[in-house]
Amino acid sequence: MSKALDYDIFKPTQKRFRFFRLMRYLKPYSLSLFLGAVLSLLINVSVLAKPYLIKYIIDDCLVSGRNQFSIPYIAAAYFFIVLFGACFEYTQKYLMTYIGQSVMFNIRNELFHHVQMLSMPFFDKNSTGRILTRITNDVESVSDLFSGVIINIFKDIIMLIGIVSVMFYLDVKTALFSVGCVPVIMLITLVYRIAARKNFIKMKGMLSKINGFLAENISGMKLVQIFHREKEKRAELENLDREYFKYSLREIILHGFSRPAVDIINNLTIAVVIWVCFNRILSSQLQIGILVAFITYIKQFFNPIRDIADIYTSIQSSIISSERIFEVLDTKESLEDPDPGIRIKKLKGEVEFKNVWFAYNSDNWVLKDISFKIEPGETVAFVGATGSGKSTIINLLGRFYNIQKGEILIDGININRYNLTDLRRRIAVVMQDVFLFSGDIASNIRLGDASISDSDIKEAAKYVCADEFIQALPNGFSEEVREGGSNFSSGQKQLISFARAVAFKPSILVLDEATSNIDTQTEIMIQNAMSKISSGKTSIIIAHRLSTIKNADKIIVIHKGRIKETGTHEQLMDKKGLYYNLCKMRKTDIPKA
Amino acid sequence: MEFGSLMPNKAGITAVKKLLVSFIVKHIWRYIFGVLLIICSSLLTLAIPEILGLITDGLNLKTMSGDELTWYVVLIAVISFLTFAVKFTWRYLIIGNCRNLEVYLRGKLFAHLQTLPVDFYTTHKTGDLMAYAINDVQAIRMVFGGGLAQSLDAIAINLFSVLFMSNTINPKLTAIVYIPAPFILAAIFFIRVHIRNRFIKVQEAFADISDKVQENLSGIRVIKAFSQESSEMKSFRLISRKRLDAQMKLVKISGLLGPGINIFFGFIMLVFIIFGSRLVIENSITVGDFVAFNSYIAIIMTPVINIARIIEVWQKGIASYKRLDAIFAVKSEPGNNLPAQAPGEIGGNIEIRSLDFAYPRTNRRVLKNINLKIKRGSTIGIIGRSGSGKTTLANLLLRLHSVEDGHIFIDDIDINEIPVDVLRENIAYVPQDSFLFSTTIKENIEFFRPVYSDEDIENATRLSDIYDNIISFPEGFDTVVGERGVTLSGGQKQRISIARAIIKNASIIILDDCLSAVDTETEQKILSNFSAILKNRTGIIISHRVSALKHADEIIFLENGKILEQGSHDELIMKKGRYYKLCKTQSVGPKEGENCL
Repeated sequence: MSKALDYDIFKPTQKRFRFFRLMRYLKPYSLSLFLGAVLSLLINVSVLAKPYLIKYIIDDCLVSGRNQFSIPYIAAAYFFIVLFGACFEYTQKYLMTYIGQSVMFNIRNELFHHVQMLSMPFFDKNSTGRILTRITNDVESVSDLFSGVIINIFKDIIMLIGIVSVMFYLDVKTALFSVGCVPVIMLITLVYRIAARKNFIKMKGMLSKINGFLAENISGMKLVQIFHREKEKRAELENLDREYFKYSLREIILHGFSRPAVDIINNLTIAVVIWVCFNRILSSQLQIGILVAFITYIKQFFNPIRDIADIYTSIQSSIISSERIFEVLDTKESLEDPDPGIRIKKLKGEVEFKNVWFAYNSDNWVLKDISFKIEPGETVAFVGATGSGKSTIINLLGRFYNIQKGEILIDGININRYNLTDLRRRIAVVMQDVFLFSGDIASNIRLGDASISDSDIKEAAKYVCADEFIQALPNGFSEEVREGGSNFSSGQKQLISFARAVAFKPSILVLDEATSNIDTQTEIMIQNAMSKISSGKTSIIIAHRLSTIKNADKIIVIHKGRIKETGTHEQLMDKKGLYYNLCKMRKTDIPKA
Repeated sequence: MEFGSLMPNKAGITAVKKLLVSFIVKHIWRYIFGVLLIICSSLLTLAIPEILGLITDGLNLKTMSGDELTWYVVLIAVISFLTFAVKFTWRYLIIGNCRNLEVYLRGKLFAHLQTLPVDFYTTHKTGDLMAYAINDVQAIRMVFGGGLAQSLDAIAINLFSVLFMSNTINPKLTAIVYIPAPFILAAIFFIRVHIRNRFIKVQEAFADISDKVQENLSGIRVIKAFSQESSEMKSFRLISRKRLDAQMKLVKISGLLGPGINIFFGFIMLVFIIFGSRLVIENSITVGDFVAFNSYIAIIMTPVINIARIIEVWQKGIASYKRLDAIFAVKSEPGNNLPAQAPGEIGGNIEIRSLDFAYPRTNRRVLKNINLKIKRGSTIGIIGRSGSGKTTLANLLLRLHSVEDGHIFIDDIDINEIPVDVLRENIAYVPQDSFLFSTTIKENIEFFRPVYSDEDIENATRLSDIYDNIISFPEGFDTVVGERGVTLSGGQKQRISIARAIIKNASIIILDDCLSAVDTETEQKILSNFSAILKNRTGIIISHRVSALKHADEIIFLENGKILEQGSHDELIMKKGRYYKLCKTQSVGPKEGENCL
């Protein structure tokens, strides 16, 4: 069985960062990546050239007064270097975004495909929210690695090397003093980054707590007002906000320290460099323009260092995200394989359970030694208390879970030998809590199966008496279905789901009967629809209403995972056993008329 | 409905303005000092190029002595430290305070939300309301923090540098350098508008992915049952593709911003190099001036680039200001903000006299001519279809909606004269949709007022038949429920919210269809427990199931807001009217000789 995904975002991970596995996704784009690297070099060159040109103007044109005629050319050269640099930058950005987005697209699709193929135990163990985060946010955060991080590290390191080289080329002694500030800036930046990130995570955490608090208290506002707990709730928010304020103020303090601190280092380095150069300039051993160039280059140290520190933190979150993605991709044990198996054209609908044992968790048997047989066309009702194992039987029939012991046969063949897709298409399941997808009514009946035509849909709706309310809607079958079907009543939703089941023309029909919150009118409609669609097909019904149970060909009473009684309504009533008691409890004591 | 749309408030002094003014007045010294320090820091920033220029000239002309240089170098160091201190302090004073403002505004907004009537919450989505308390409050914070500080900073820097540059160096050169500035501004502004639009598209594309996956996962059972995996993959691929396309469209324009600014800079430098050098050659300015000017260009451009962003901050802030104003303008439910009083006792004799009720600004009456007397110690059952007015009646007793004087009396006092907190303190209510907060079970039962003993809590949970479930959890009563904790079934939630009502020990108990998710056996067990609890209290049981209220002393059958039938279970059955019919549909039809019934 699959393990639940690790939900703790900040938990340090012992797993090796599977760098090379990630890099595999880059392979199709290696040419673009190479081009990006070349462009980075050119961009760096243009950045480094600018102070050098200014130095040339100062030393060779202004101070010495020699090459004054060349000033317009130098100015033009300066402008064109900037222009080309800008074009390279734009191209590189576009290219890298394309790579990052493409890799993201590929990973995301791969992940979604994988999740689609996972079996129900995986979805039982992992909440929707967790899987959702993997496919949405985690994939986004990994894409940063491909679009920005790798190329920028390269670019920034080259930039640092470039600055240092130009400095040494200009003057070795001054360069030695200038480079001294690099480690200090690095240290400050890194310390700040780490502290800021820690604080940021805490602040974000507080903000999401406040978010959660608001969400809950706005939806529960009526209750708070009724119970008159406004003051307590206000105090609770105040506490959260106070904590949040603490971290958010700390953020400002940290930020207020870091950038000005770098400025101090820059200015101090400049002061030292001026001090060092003083005598040599006076004695004409050093040109004044070199000093100006050094001042500019020293200021340029900061950007690549800051970027590298940024990258460090974004790599961290990419690592965590990529591990979480791989964790899902590596969940192989509960993968469903739709391809192999016997293809099914038509089923007679004979269902047999032979000594079936089943547990969701290793030893906790939910079904114990269940055996029964349903003849084609029969209607069988399962009756039992909540948790007795009724619904589990339905789950097993569609092979949503694998049984541990025994055998389930359909038309005399073990269901494991059938093609999974075909098997499920022949069994239509109508669940108690109907799920509607956003779209329209037609798309909810067809469910993306193009082979079901519009007239099939209409026919199916008519058959279950759903067409009456659908035709009355302004847009008929194209009426919009909002998220979760919220613009339909539960009765209407139920009818749509019946139409869905009918449109797929199943051989076996499984119905989990709805119980609560449906008014009597709709209830009668649903009852009619149910008896209509189950006629002539093998039907398995999880029954809550006595009227449904009574009409079944066979009633199977399940208690604590075992079959206790089997028979028709009359037979079981005569027996005065479990079923009899159940009936007695459900009735309302209307005095006999 | 009434609150369908929140229109901006047109009144002169609005609630938000009042709040902001009072906040600023309270912190006025912070702002005064902050502004002064911003001015200081721009002056200090601009001093460095000036000094560099002086040093350059001194070295170039070889007029500078060693002592003089030492003095300048020390000055640079001192200015660096001063700038650091000043910058840090104003950031702390102004930007730090805006976080204070955020918290302050949110607290006020939440307090306001708490006083709004129930209808408000049925017409507004939770997510939308949260946006007010998070996004809009933050947008205003940004104005008062970064927006304000950066605007002042930009103004100060540009103002002083123009003065510095034209006074100490050359006015013409200054003018030439500033000429492209408006164009840069316009261009940046233009690009940013497009970036914003395309960024929204990216966010939408991302939200589409999120929605798609969310829906796919919630409906995975259906997808698998109908073997729709491959069609889902196909449609996901399309949506995923849209995300990629949106990002590429965004980068096409957002990628222009940096390089575009660089090109403008390049152009300024082109002009500066040509004209600046000519001025040096003509001896109008010194080499040191040239060097200083070079540094100034870099300093003044930063605020210019930032201006577009600052304008955006202000725009957003103003929009949010209007939105917040609209929400603060929503009238509080009368009585909700009455000063708290010492809780008084209520006996529990309820009388309703010819009550009509229609929701505000609607014409349809949901309750029509209701007359009802409920004595203390008796229990009344209200049955009817959904929409018949059952819950409205309960809501009126809780004064979640207001009625006119003279229709509802409790202990012969008009309900409008009883302070809301006293009234609600004396009614225990179990809602239809049992809502639990994601905290411990214990806190959900005592409901954030820890005044009950453990025995009280245990007792209440025993009566609502949830005790055994709770102690079966490893953490017992400290088990956290909800998303971060244990997921409870609908029936378990209902039973906890019943315990919450029981522990209140109130004189009136209202059960609003609160047993729909428990099975019949448990329902009967809880109801029989309730019959003991209700002995000395007034009980109101609302349900659409006969089984839930057949033991009530009196049952009223509501339809379309009218009392159709009234009497005890047996009386109503004998009557063979609507109640009788309902009984029949809710069980197997009574056939002669059928022993199931």
